[in-house]
Amino acid sequence: MNKDTEKKEEENQGQQQNSSALVQKIQQLGQSNVPQAPDSNIHVLTIIGQVEGHVQLPPQNKTTKYEHLLPQLIAIEQNPKIEGLIILLNTVGGDVEAGLALAEMISSISKPTVSVVLGGGHSIGVPIAVATSHSFIVPTATMTIHPVRLTGLVIGVPQTFEYLDKMQDRVINFVVNHSNIKEEKFKDLMFAKGNLTRDIGTNVVGTDAVDYGLIDGVGGIKEAMQKLNELISQNQKSENQVIQ
Amino acid sequence: MILYTPLAQSDIFPQASDDFSNRQCISVEGKSFYVEQQSDGSYMLLQLLSTDPADYMNEKYTPGSIIQ
Repeated sequence: MNKDTEKKEEENQGQQQNSSALVQKIQQLGQSNVPQAPDSNIHVLTIIGQVEGHVQLPPQNKTTKYEHLLPQLIAIEQNPKIEGLIILLNTVGGDVEAGLALAEMISSISKPTVSVVLGGGHSIGVPIAVATSHSFIVPTATMTIHPVRLTGLVIGVPQTFEYLDKMQDRVINFVVNHSNIKEEKFKDLMFAKGNLTRDIGTNVVGTDAVDYGLIDGVGGIKEAMQKLNELISQNQKSENQVIQ
Repeated sequence: MILYTPLAQSDIFPQASDDFSNRQCISVEGKSFYVEQQSDGSYMLLQLLSTDPADYMNEKYTPGSIIQ
């Protein structure tokens, strides 16, 4: 008799645990199960919020920390199971040197990479977007191109100006070398007046970015995945040829 | 009180830093998570830091789940 009741109690407890796990899941996601997928040969890197560099931003800011992404990029390059990388961008910009570090890392990966600009890819988001093998922008996304800026206390104005000027050249050179835009055109957009009210620069929307040659094509996830799969199969063909 | 200023709200009303002091990055099972420590010592997952899309499909790593 006692054993029976113990068993029943155990069963009850088990059911309670199951139901509480279910309740927790519903609280988290508003649904009871998540679709499962097989292992993917494509990895996804999201660049969201502000690109955080040397200075840690207040915690209420949503940031992409470059020190998190750099090791992930190394892991992507090293892992033979990963055949391609897709980069999703919705960023307001941020630290120039952290952004350039990410852009250089992405451009020097041997595996095919495709970027999609969603919502916004502003300021330092531009070099990150063009760093990939092929770049896409959705029709509603925008990219703000403007000169490098600095806020806060500046000690040694002439030196800082020189430094910023060189930093700006690095951004321009990177974008020109990794996209089809002409240097003249990019500088025109960067220093254009009347587009951003009282500020200089240009807010380039979806199809315009493609017309200027900054981005390779207008498209979303479908186009990006097609292109990435195409690049992966090309990459595999060339690898096979080397072996023969 | 009406404020008319080019300063950011956080510059005028600094956030209490202890609001976020229980948040940190931890590594579990070779994956990085941004977590918030609960009053009972367990960690609640806020953000998964991974490039593997399959990780985002894993129920264990959904935001809000409790680790350990």
